[in-house]
Amino acid sequence: MTDVRVPPPEPAVTEVPPAAGTVGLRGTAARWLRRPRSRRELVDRLFAVQSLFALLVVFVVAILASPRRDGEILFLTAGNLGNIVRAVSEIGIIAIGMTFVILLGGIDLSVGAILGLSAVGTATLLVDSGFGIVPAVAVVLVIGALFGAVQGYAVARLGIQSFIVTLAGLQVARGIARIWSGGLGIPIAYGDGAHEAPPAFELLNGSLNGVLPVPAVLFVLIGIAAIVVLRTTAFARHVYAIGGNEKAARLSGVPVTRIKVAVFAVAGLLAAVAGVIHAGQLNQGSPNDGAGYELDAIAAVVIGGTSLAGGSGSMGGTLAGALLLGILNNILALNNIDANVQLLIKGLVIVLAAALQKLRHGIA
Amino acid sequence: MHRRTVLALLVTGALLTTAGCTVEKPSDDAGSARACGTGKDFLIGMSQANNAEPYRQVMNNDVQTAAKAVPGFRVVVSDAAQDNSKQVADVENFLTQRINLLIISPNEAKPLTAVVKKAYDQGIPVIVLDRKVEGEAYTAFIGGDNVAIGRAAGEFYAQTLLPGGGKVIEIAGLPGSTPAAERAKGFREGIAGNPKIEIVASQPGDWLREKGQSVADALIKAHPDVSAVYAHNDPMAEGAYLAAKAAGLEQKIKFTGIDALPVPSGGIKAVEQGRLAATFQYATGGREAVELARKILVDCATDVPRATTLDTTRITSDNAAEAYAKLGGL
Repeated sequence: MTDVRVPPPEPAVTEVPPAAGTVGLRGTAARWLRRPRSRRELVDRLFAVQSLFALLVVFVVAILASPRRDGEILFLTAGNLGNIVRAVSEIGIIAIGMTFVILLGGIDLSVGAILGLSAVGTATLLVDSGFGIVPAVAVVLVIGALFGAVQGYAVARLGIQSFIVTLAGLQVARGIARIWSGGLGIPIAYGDGAHEAPPAFELLNGSLNGVLPVPAVLFVLIGIAAIVVLRTTAFARHVYAIGGNEKAARLSGVPVTRIKVAVFAVAGLLAAVAGVIHAGQLNQGSPNDGAGYELDAIAAVVIGGTSLAGGSGSMGGTLAGALLLGILNNILALNNIDANVQLLIKGLVIVLAAALQKLRHGIA
Repeated sequence: MHRRTVLALLVTGALLTTAGCTVEKPSDDAGSARACGTGKDFLIGMSQANNAEPYRQVMNNDVQTAAKAVPGFRVVVSDAAQDNSKQVADVENFLTQRINLLIISPNEAKPLTAVVKKAYDQGIPVIVLDRKVEGEAYTAFIGGDNVAIGRAAGEFYAQTLLPGGGKVIEIAGLPGSTPAAERAKGFREGIAGNPKIEIVASQPGDWLREKGQSVADALIKAHPDVSAVYAHNDPMAEGAYLAAKAAGLEQKIKFTGIDALPVPSGGIKAVEQGRLAATFQYATGGREAVELARKILVDCATDVPRATTLDTTRITSDNAAEAYAKLGGL
């Protein structure tokens, strides 16, 4: 845990998040144990737990709404809970990267396509090019991070809106994926043969102790790491500062270009991680994989309470948002709600979350 | 804000630990999956690759309609929206619900193979519809034969539509898709008996009506003396008809399609209304799947056919109205 002091992201100059005054996990705890100093702080605290509260509500509702069989609550079975986190892991990992981008005041529409590109890359390198697991994954992750970094550079130095840059990036990544794969999915077979992937890669399709799906474990670990990064590092404070007021941040000596490049690189890297997991889970890399995932990830971030205007929000909120969406998907499916009605309900939940955000800013 | 993080972590942890601690009862679900006989209630999970295409809507409808006729059958349908990951989750959710039988029309073979095997290994009978999965871990496959359908269309051209020969334009399906390759191959086999028939052009229309229209527009301009357009599906045939109509050639050229969906926008109605000379049914297999499910669950049959290939029906103005009713027109 570092307690680096950066030049002056002082509240007077930049709109910093409530946490910025007391950086670090220890400061956090101390702040929470104190009585609120003002009405604004109280409101902030109440709304701070909004996404978590929503998650708990949805969890309880899911238990109540769960179908039962022989007295057992199907929603709470080990297999089902593991499956929820497994199913949400790819979106969740993408959403973690998306949180950094949105905190910066940007958006990244390319992450779903980078996932597809990475899945294709993983499958091709493992199966056709005879790479081992470590070099194959390393190459794919470097490609994802570089792709993101180039987009970040275009945003920071050329001054093009991130929406436009990553919209173009989406097309480019999809195009490369289709060219690389010849337009078709590349199946992954396991074994020691010439066109077979090392059997160890199939772990991504399995579970620890036969219960915890490996993708779910990776999601939780990456999520915890992201929370620590966002709470304790100077990098994170710079991100908040730029998202709050870019000009002020620049004048205060925040290396804006470098931070932007780094943030988009992180988003690309995490999308590539999700792509590797995707290929492992499905034993195949298809160029169209991940289509529309960027929107689910944005939904998770928004439900998590992060402002699309940038500068305020939290990683814990995003994780809660992703899990909430996963539980919602699951309980709607377990009750066999019509697929079209499911879309409608999910849309309403996103609007509700955004409305709560608005309310918060109205009160405070 | 901070407590949110801590609590989020706690809940995530709780989710995972609950997942780790709850004890499942594998004996129960294996038992209920295997139970069969009359007078019982059965839950059938139908995992559809994509609800957005009319063909798949008709497939779902066929399954639901046929299942209503079997006492005790309840079918739940999930929509994977063309996403392999979502389809895996859909099947997992069906397993959580302890379905008695799985009907699946996979989005793609390889990604769905593992979860289909998981269901099969739990003792749940699995009927695979239209598109296959890999390996042997399923109970039965039911699907159409696209080569045979293409051949039936070709024979119709050789004997009935153009007995005296003529020039034909082919509007093909999406490049790289197996039905497109098979419908092209069968057609060439079918017209081989009549050497006076010549395919003067073949271009992909990607299964889409608008693409079929623009492709046919160009090809008809290039070959104004063409006698017929063979499209790999009905929407592209309808698109070609529109292109010919714009050129004032719709009476001179004959159009045929494939699929024959019993819906107002489908090929059967187009034949009935005179736009298409013929269409060839690509059966959904929905009714056949439910009949097979009935044999497995109600009759306790253990020896069911491993692969069923569905026949095609040729639909012309003679039998269009009858076929529309027989196929349960919507």
